[in-house]
Amino acid sequence: MAAQSSCVASLYTVGVLEAVILRSFGPEGGQVLFTRDTGQAMLSRSGTRILTALQLEHPLARMVVECVWKHSTATGDGSKTFILLLASLLRLIHAAASKEPNVSHSYNSTKAAEAATARHLADKLLAFALKELDELIATGVVPYGGRISWEDFTATAQSPSLANNLCVQKLLRSFFHTRFGYTHCDFISHLACELLSYWKFKNELPSFSLQFVSDNFPALHTPVSGFPVCASRLIDGQVIHRDFATPPLKTDHQPVKAVVLTRSLQPTLLNTGDVLEVGCGGRMMEERSIVHFSAWMERSLQGIIANLQTLGVCVLLSAVKQSAAVLALATQAEMCVVECVSEDELSLFVRLSGTIPIWDCSMIEPEHVVTLTFCRPIQLGGHRYKNTPQRITVKPCSLVICAPGEGQTEQYACALQDAVRMLLRTWEPMHAAVTTTSKRTLQSHKSSSLHTDNLTDRTTYRSSAIQPIHKCVLEPGCVISAGGSFELLLHYALLQHGHSCSVSHDLNIDTSVSQLLANALLSVPQKIYAHSPKGDKSSKDSELDLGLESVSCKYQLLLAVLQCVRSLLKVDTVLPTHIALHTQSSRPASTSWEDTEDEAED
Amino acid sequence: MALNGDEEDFEWEPPTEAEMKVIQARRERQDKISKLMGDYLLKGYKMLGECCEVCGTILLQDRQQKNYCVSCQELDSDIDKDNPALNPQAALSQVRERQLASQSPAPSHTPELNESPSSSQGNMSVPQPRPEHCEGAAAGGRTPLPPPAVPSPSRLVLQEAEEAVLTKLRWATNQLQSSASLEASIQLCSLITSCANSLRSLKEVSQ
Repeated sequence: MAAQSSCVASLYTVGVLEAVILRSFGPEGGQVLFTRDTGQAMLSRSGTRILTALQLEHPLARMVVECVWKHSTATGDGSKTFILLLASLLRLIHAAASKEPNVSHSYNSTKAAEAATARHLADKLLAFALKELDELIATGVVPYGGRISWEDFTATAQSPSLANNLCVQKLLRSFFHTRFGYTHCDFISHLACELLSYWKFKNELPSFSLQFVSDNFPALHTPVSGFPVCASRLIDGQVIHRDFATPPLKTDHQPVKAVVLTRSLQPTLLNTGDVLEVGCGGRMMEERSIVHFSAWMERSLQGIIANLQTLGVCVLLSAVKQSAAVLALATQAEMCVVECVSEDELSLFVRLSGTIPIWDCSMIEPEHVVTLTFCRPIQLGGHRYKNTPQRITVKPCSLVICAPGEGQTEQYACALQDAVRMLLRTWEPMHAAVTTTSKRTLQSHKSSSLHTDNLTDRTTYRSSAIQPIHKCVLEPGCVISAGGSFELLLHYALLQHGHSCSVSHDLNIDTSVSQLLANALLSVPQKIYAHSPKGDKSSKDSELDLGLESVSCKYQLLLAVLQCVRSLLKVDTVLPTHIALHTQSSRPASTSWEDTEDEAED
Repeated sequence: MALNGDEEDFEWEPPTEAEMKVIQARRERQDKISKLMGDYLLKGYKMLGECCEVCGTILLQDRQQKNYCVSCQELDSDIDKDNPALNPQAALSQVRERQLASQSPAPSHTPELNESPSSSQGNMSVPQPRPEHCEGAAAGGRTPLPPPAVPSPSRLVLQEAEEAVLTKLRWATNQLQSSASLEASIQLCSLITSCANSLRSLKEVSQ
């Protein structure tokens, strides 16, 4: 049945995906139970997780899931709403296209005419959204919401006269409510607020500290399974997820000095296959053997350790495994060594302390040494780690996430990371045009030699297809009450815009496009309220219950959906190949959008 | 609504009532298919990139690498579930219903031949062994005939029951002769078997 047009094929596919996530959608949505062949089970309501767990070989379905995943990586939320909006837009476009096929060109069949009309409509929709949507939102939606200031983390920090009770914690609470339900959302949102208030950099934009936390989140948290969720807490200092390789410091001499090693102290002069010629080099000696060679090596090692001792170093943080000789000498010299520290943690450590890791072991200078307030082992769950803060202006703190099982700790960690991304999107200033294409540097935290002056490097996110926005219309921190209010308000704003367009000049195109978008938006509140059977709840109650959501995240969601619609409708034919073009399970961040399109396009 | 490339000025007319109904039915069917497919996907089936040759629905593949078309294999045979002509379970429950109706003090009327029995739950009060799951046509033949609840059934009731069963047997035989589908033939054969069993039990009871 290759005669199915792409519009119809996408409609069927997205309809199926919609049926998959529909029952989990909304505040009353259910959870999906995931089971593995090993018997591990996990409950989740996250749309991204559900969609990425499905086994899909259909290229259009995979394209859609790819879009959802990318959107979710950028904004942290909204994957189910994405699918719902996508489905309703495709339905309306299909209906509109079958009503009035574009007869200005001659096509071979109704199908081709419909497909062309649909494509044209999708292009118009996207163009309209890029041009006018932000203004419409600013005038029609934002006045009904509010603005959270970055300083208002909890409700207690505000003056009690504020009726709206807007604060970051409330926003986070409603976010976690969609992920975890009522049980733990209060606790986790409180914990998240604490973490963020610790990591607030003075005199910096909120987006800066949020970006920092988001980039370094793997190094900033420790998952511990086997404890109840309420045991999660913040602890002082950075946790290095490795135990001491040598016996830890016996006495707490404060302050503790440490160095960061990126290579083995004992240089590997000999590799497999090398031939060592043991000779005398001109001097006549009776015996020269490998024993002398290793003795010489040890002496040079002793020299290095003695150098470190004179600098007062007690702790060696090594990125690689050190040899037994190094460990023995370090123990003798009463130094403790931590080996195989992960790159993330080392780079965070280096960044926070402002030190330079040692590269050449023969040249160890005082600037390589960093002073720590304390350095001690800490037992978290079944593992022993090392806890060490630095003496800098921002006191570092690390998050310990506890949950009954490993799957749950991962879930909570993911949810927290997504929450930070969502907040980042909320507070990101949507600036005016940038001359160069500034892409998001995903690898910025991987570089091991980040100095303090690099902390001012701002990373901004831009979708590669968005045209530059000329004025800063949407202020950072705009929120609106959750539960479909954004969609309803935008629906009315679009209808009004359509009316005013048709009255002022006959641009029927704009009217029909804004009408289509307005009707599509209604599907979201429809689905939210179709689930909840309680019709007798007073409006005041429901407003308090549903919480807040971020306006800029919703705006990004709309744009992403419209782009996805356009990409889906651009597909002419789907060609089956018998070679696997890319593996199913890997979703690398560097997969460019063009790859998937090339696979599916004519 | 044929549109050729030559027709430049195509007048769109709103669809008629009949067409609207067709469109509506098609949409509902599509929604049903989507819902079923969604459920299967959540169960672990794989969505393939191919479509069914018969109906054009996207194919699913289960863990055993077997392809499955939701609309052909499930939706179309769904409505046949309650049809007593094809399903012996439905036939049996219809017979029981008729027995119940004739045994009650209120004047009972013979139920229609194609009245679909609501389900076996209606016969909860009557203590009869009943298969809980519809294991297919073959199982229907193995169902033991429910013993009559009334201690002394009257001749009239037995005769009526016998007549009904014979009618069904006759009808099934006719259907079998003209049947082309393997599935339907199997089901009809088992219906005949169960009718024969019912007749035997009725004869035993009457003696």
